[in-house]
Amino acid sequence: MIELTFWGVRGSIPAPGPGTVRYGGNTSCVSLRTADGRLIVLDCGTGARNLGMSLLDGPFGRGQGQASILLSHAHWDHIQGFPFFVPLYIAGNAFNIFGGGKSSSMLEGILEGQMAPQYFPVQTLKNMGATIEIVAVAEGTPFSVEGCRVVARTNPHGRSGALAFRIESEGRSVVYASDAGYASSGPPEPSIDLYRGADLLIHDSTYTPEDRRRYPERGFSSIEDAVLCAARARVKKLVLFHYDQDYSDADVDALCARGRRLLDAQGARDIEIVGGAEGTTLRL
Amino acid sequence: MRVRFWGVRGSLPVPGMKTERYGGNTSCVEVRSASGTRVVVDAGTGIRKLGKELSQGDAEGSTNHVHLLISHTHWDHIQGLPFFSPLYQRGNSLHVYARKRDDLHLRAVFASQTDDPYFPIPFDEAKADIAFRELMDSAEFEISDVRVACARLNHPYIATAYRLSVDGASVVYVSDTAPFSDILFEDQFIARPPSAGAELPKADRDKLAAMRQGVARLCDGADLVIYDTMFTPEDYRRLPHYGHSRPSDAIEICREAGARQLALFHHAPERSDAEVDTILADAQALVTREKIPLEVVAAYEGMDLTLGRE
Repeated sequence: MIELTFWGVRGSIPAPGPGTVRYGGNTSCVSLRTADGRLIVLDCGTGARNLGMSLLDGPFGRGQGQASILLSHAHWDHIQGFPFFVPLYIAGNAFNIFGGGKSSSMLEGILEGQMAPQYFPVQTLKNMGATIEIVAVAEGTPFSVEGCRVVARTNPHGRSGALAFRIESEGRSVVYASDAGYASSGPPEPSIDLYRGADLLIHDSTYTPEDRRRYPERGFSSIEDAVLCAARARVKKLVLFHYDQDYSDADVDALCARGRRLLDAQGARDIEIVGGAEGTTLRL
Repeated sequence: MRVRFWGVRGSLPVPGMKTERYGGNTSCVEVRSASGTRVVVDAGTGIRKLGKELSQGDAEGSTNHVHLLISHTHWDHIQGLPFFSPLYQRGNSLHVYARKRDDLHLRAVFASQTDDPYFPIPFDEAKADIAFRELMDSAEFEISDVRVACARLNHPYIATAYRLSVDGASVVYVSDTAPFSDILFEDQFIARPPSAGAELPKADRDKLAAMRQGVARLCDGADLVIYDTMFTPEDYRRLPHYGHSRPSDAIEICREAGARQLALFHHAPERSDAEVDTILADAQALVTREKIPLEVVAAYEGMDLTLGRE
């Protein structure tokens, strides 16, 4: 059984306040547990802080933990929880970090930039304690992460791109596709190929279609884009993710309801849809 | 003058039910004089909502002029700036003030925050007029009708405290700082901090004493002192080398300076609303017990105080 827990589902910047307590205001972070208990972390937004705390009772608290972190891209809301992920400070723990970038040293430089003394008192990754291995991944070539088969592909995201990951373990498949801003022609075929038939598609659903049209340059998906991907790729379940920082819980409820209607209109009544919410766990 | 709190949290924003009342946004305080001069201290995530209010609240075509004092450039004090919407509106202006450093120009510190690959909009594409002013440790200057004075704080990579005086009142912002006793923070990373209670070298003790005196002088007779009280006594015993104070440290400075009101500030991310309540009650009990003429409050998001002449 694969177990997915949502620690942060918000886009752009954490959104604390009474209006966001149900879906949560922390930025992107999802944990994946394989059947044999191995851990993969998808993105390190502020949600990573709570994930880190939850791990301290186990091997990560004793310096005997091992996990991998997959980073979609390095915009703040996907890495700003990294310096606050406590298991990284416990000697003996080991982390493999996979992300984009032309080279592993370039990716390391990006993570180092966040720790620099003018910004953070720890000053460098080297002061963190755990063993950290950083690897830039090659797009399209399967690689192995915590015993799972992983494939990464770049989705367009504003002026840059963000990696989407397909993770397969024991015949089950999960796709994490946050921050996808497709061209007006719709999602490209390689993206649909990556999502195809997945048991679970976690997809960028930052906006309503109206807000998406208002901010096309920001490179995010609307609920319409997410539904289109799910229907075309014939996934089993769509999880909405990366909500706009100004969306209240009621707004996200409306987004979910709209997603259901859009799926039905696509003739995809069999595809389940759920709004990703902080603190919830899905099992496959 | 009007003082509004937009973010009161330290380290990182902490959304959720447990922080609903005091708020989960990181440090940002707005001071507005009766004549309309707007000075903002720190640009944690709280500044986003101030920006929204400025962009939406004002009449079409009107412009915003904001002076931003930065205590130091750790993330929780600058991370909201890229989301401050007036930056992207032509005709607005932003003046940023922070301590001068030998190694890095202030502009570079802010520009790097929005460099590729960290943020989609590069700093150069901001449409407001942005100017930077680097400050010496004990700078004194004027922003229109607001008098500003500075003092150095004891924090890794060094932070600055600000006193703002206008409309016959003064507010002092003291965040982030460790007490001026167990360790001296400067630029370098301290891998092995001195053990608690160990005597420091004389040069360090002298520097700390001077720093403490500077802060006490800055708080002299202030109507309101906003102070980094992130740590409980237990936290401090465990982490004396993390650069934050306890409520008792703030109370001691306020007593010495004869300040009228203290706002506990920069609450720890793990602190629930109920825990902040307890810390506040303990601090109030302390001033009552010691008969210190000081009102103690705990800063919360949305707190709105009027000081001096309106």
